[in-house]
Amino acid sequence: MIELAPRHKYGLPLMVPVMPASGTFGYGHAYHDLVDLSVLGAIVTNPVSLKARTAARGRRVGVRGDHFVVHTGWPNPGVRRVIRESGRVWERLTVPVIVHLLATQPASVGRAAGMLSGVRGVRGLELGFAATVGIERACAQLSAAVEEGDLPVIAKLPFGRVADLAGPLVDAGADALTLMSPPRAVLPVGEVGPGGSVARFMRGRLYGAALFPMTLHILSQWVGKLDVPVIACGGIASPDDALTCLTLGAAAVQIDALLWRDPGLLEAVARAVVRVQPPVTEIDDAQPHDTEDMEVAP
Amino acid sequence: MARRQTATLRAVRPVPPAWELHLDLEVVPQAGCYVLADLGGPLREPLFPSVVDGDGFSTVVPRGHPATRLLPGSPVDVLGPLGHGFRLAAIGHALDRLLLIAEVDDLPWLQPLYQAAPSVALVVEATTRLRLPAPSRFPPTLELTMVTRDGSTGYLGPIEEDGPAPAGVVRVLPRLRELMAWAECICVAADVVRYPALARLVKDVRYLPQADFAQALVRVSMPCGVGACDICRVTTRHGERHACVDGPVFDLMDFTGESARRVSRSRGGRPHGVNEAIA
Repeated sequence: MIELAPRHKYGLPLMVPVMPASGTFGYGHAYHDLVDLSVLGAIVTNPVSLKARTAARGRRVGVRGDHFVVHTGWPNPGVRRVIRESGRVWERLTVPVIVHLLATQPASVGRAAGMLSGVRGVRGLELGFAATVGIERACAQLSAAVEEGDLPVIAKLPFGRVADLAGPLVDAGADALTLMSPPRAVLPVGEVGPGGSVARFMRGRLYGAALFPMTLHILSQWVGKLDVPVIACGGIASPDDALTCLTLGAAAVQIDALLWRDPGLLEAVARAVVRVQPPVTEIDDAQPHDTEDMEVAP
Repeated sequence: MARRQTATLRAVRPVPPAWELHLDLEVVPQAGCYVLADLGGPLREPLFPSVVDGDGFSTVVPRGHPATRLLPGSPVDVLGPLGHGFRLAAIGHALDRLLLIAEVDDLPWLQPLYQAAPSVALVVEATTRLRLPAPSRFPPTLELTMVTRDGSTGYLGPIEEDGPAPAGVVRVLPRLRELMAWAECICVAADVVRYPALARLVKDVRYLPQADFAQALVRVSMPCGVGACDICRVTTRHGERHACVDGPVFDLMDFTGESARRVSRSRGGRPHGVNEAIA
């Protein structure tokens, strides 16, 4: 058993440190035919906002090689309807539900967090920030979720923003950190024209196994320096990848959109993590002149 | 219920301008349903049946598709069958007269319905004559209406548009209205952006068409197949729906009213966010 929110009055204990990432698994019931939910540590829902959001228009997915970008606009029916439609499912689940809240206006975040407090089955919130959010605004959003709600709050940091956001958010009351949201990327999605020019591009969240080394890089840099549990997220494509993250000190792992191709990945990772206790490992530092502390214990 | 199966690729053959794959599968998708196949890319791909038989189904992929490089006998991991297909039984009695309407690229997905009723009429539209299949490739029992956008053969399209036609060419719309009045059920496979206009046409021709009188296949990206990823959301008059689980076959009349305006904006208007031409 691991504790994801040791500083919170209720805590957020998980039997298994494995869960799906937000935006990949629906609201808990989409995969019930394909994944044995009882072997997971928790379920992280698709992003929810106070008010309903419609889907982005235009192209929503672009594939190139082994990676792809997704732009959905985070459609959701609003927190009230999500509770109404999914509340009974969450109540029956044997694993904790962590609702991913979109960090919008601090007041909206606070109201949504308040509405989710006390919903049976919901054991925590994960707050997702915009890639360009400022430090003060992020802290205001997080404080609203902490103060208006009663649940442990995990902050999911935008890609590349650990250095400036992690410390302030922990100080503002984050119980744990998810490292990280997928990076933003642009892919050419049109056909190459006669002059060699590409007609169309698409911007969105980047997914693919190539993110995994970046996740390890961030983990190795930061996990020892943060006072709260860290959840690793990004490009985890096998049980070995997950075990590597845990070895580097992550308290838990999230499997992102790679599970769409292989829904069995979640179960495989969860079972492997339960079987294996990751050993303490020293990182072979490729840059000996780098003075950063690269020896990390789990 | 979503299930995981292993299909076996039985044959790969060119059917110009595309390629046809035949997969042996225990539980096969019916017309309008699909399986999500792992063909080696980072996302699964939806495969719709063009022919369904006792052992499996055939589907059509574009030339150069990675699946065309697979060897016969290769195992293919699939999820499905998934989604709601064409519901001809929803008409409530034995179907006698079925009308099929397709753009030529979406024609294979209506192929399993060619013999679904004693009388089947097919309206197929292409940009020009060269893109239309030869009439000999259709069953002789099918009442065929060919439409080209440039009037190079058959009737002049687009099928939902009226207006003057050049000398010697006849617009298809009056013929389509006749067929819509004749049919007991209509199945459409085309670009979703055309569905509002087709729905208006059905509404003009038929007084209060019953539910599922006209059904439309929506083909969009569906990476997860279970309604988790929100990539396949389509706007209908009942709000946003997941094409992967609520469809991919919808009542054509769902694409009317506000949903029609949204569909047309999503096609021609400025997209939400930044997914537009940057260069």
